[in-house]
Amino acid sequence: MFGFLLSEALRDLRRAGRVAVSAVMLITLSLGAAGAFWLLSMNLGRAVSEWRGHARIVVYLKREPPASEIAALVQRVQALPDVGSVRYVGKAEALAGLKRILGKDADVADQLPSNPLPASMEITPAGAATTPQGARILIERLAAVPEVEEVEGGLEWIERLADWQRLIAAIGLGVGAVLALAAILTVTTATTLVLHARRPETEIMRLVGAPELAIRLPLLLQGMIQGLLGALLALAALRIAHHFAAPWLEPLTNLTIGLPRLEFLTPPGMLTLLAAGAGLGALGGWLTRGRRGAW
Amino acid sequence: MIELHRVSKVYDAGPQKFPALTDVSFRVDKGEYVVVTGATGAGKTTLLRLLYRDEVPSEGEVEVLGQSLAGLRRRQVQTLRRSIGVVFQDAKLLPGRTVYENIAFVLRVTGAPRREITARAFEALRAVGLSSRAQAYPAHLSQGEAQRAALARAIVRRQPLLVADEPTGKLDDAMAAEVLGIIQDIWTGGTTVILATHQARLAAALHRRTLVLERGRLVKDEG
Repeated sequence: MFGFLLSEALRDLRRAGRVAVSAVMLITLSLGAAGAFWLLSMNLGRAVSEWRGHARIVVYLKREPPASEIAALVQRVQALPDVGSVRYVGKAEALAGLKRILGKDADVADQLPSNPLPASMEITPAGAATTPQGARILIERLAAVPEVEEVEGGLEWIERLADWQRLIAAIGLGVGAVLALAAILTVTTATTLVLHARRPETEIMRLVGAPELAIRLPLLLQGMIQGLLGALLALAALRIAHHFAAPWLEPLTNLTIGLPRLEFLTPPGMLTLLAAGAGLGALGGWLTRGRRGAW
Repeated sequence: MIELHRVSKVYDAGPQKFPALTDVSFRVDKGEYVVVTGATGAGKTTLLRLLYRDEVPSEGEVEVLGQSLAGLRRRQVQTLRRSIGVVFQDAKLLPGRTVYENIAFVLRVTGAPRREITARAFEALRAVGLSSRAQAYPAHLSQGEAQRAALARAIVRRQPLLVADEPTGKLDDAMAAEVLGIIQDIWTGGTTVILATHQARLAAALHRRTLVLERGRLVKDEG
């Protein structure tokens, strides 16, 4: 019976004509907008977690300690609350690092009368210090260590990036929800027209005692098909946009937020988008109310 | 098979009330052929609609196929209707489907096994002499053929009860006789038949038990 009801749904879809096409387009728009914001938010999220994983606090020392005192100093700092790991960087290592960065201009460093770079410690925050508030407290603690000249670092900018990510996700959700509502209403309108057109069938079905499911399932299926078509079109549009836009945007994102590659939706993400389309369409179809008989 | 006990039906139209049936009682046994007659507006259609639970009585009790129709749940109404074939003055065939598809539609939506659908649809078409028109669309049928197709649809589930509301109302005498002949055959096959007509001459010619309605009251039960 399901095959027959599916063929009835397809017949109804042809009957709905332009209204059904409008419904499909609105679902495409709705899911396309939501999907685009989702993509943006997902990639920003990747940048945020990348940066969170590499967040460092650099502690510059007043003077380079003698080799015999380094281990004790590192141990003392390591013992502070919310310190994940500590790496000591001596003056020589700092200079070597600078030369690496300068590349072919490394000779400039050799012209210096003495090594001006201070010894330092790179601290990886842990626990509460991975939040901006916790990081501030850790910086205060580190600044109180007698050997410390200056502390640099913080997580505020990463959190600002995370705030942007959340804002984009919320805007995407909002825009998607408004368009989704319009899509549901359009599917409902298309289904109502179909319901009107198929009144003779519905009358016969009620008259011969067809189960309610046989009467309503074609409407539900019809909505689902519209939703799935809309979601597939949205997915295709997003894929094409990503294919052409990513090579242009990647140098910029690499430079600004350290994200060398803009990823597309994962397979579960794509399935979610398709399921959302089918769900929207089905809801629109289900919400359609027709005349009931004496029961 | 059918029993109405002091049944009344009143239609409400705002402050006004229109009594369609008043205190109607009768009984129809299994295998009977009963004609309901009366002028237009006498309550024939309302009476028939009560039988397949398209209407509910304002008062009284209706019993069909051994079950009281009071307080039936939706599923029970569906089960009841699967046992009743209904034909109207207007054949009500689905225009976008062939005669065969119209008959098969009923079987499909009521969940008949797929392998049985074709055989049963053609069995019903043979019973009304319409096998050769199986692939015709309703627009290409004469009114008599359309009514025969509607009859095929009404009996395709081998229903034990056939309710026919003015099935010859739009037909000329020859076509009407043809349709009534088919209904006679269906009745001979063991189906209980309730046929409503406003044509007193036709009712008399059938020589069957006749219920006469006047302004919603059963005034005669003869034959």
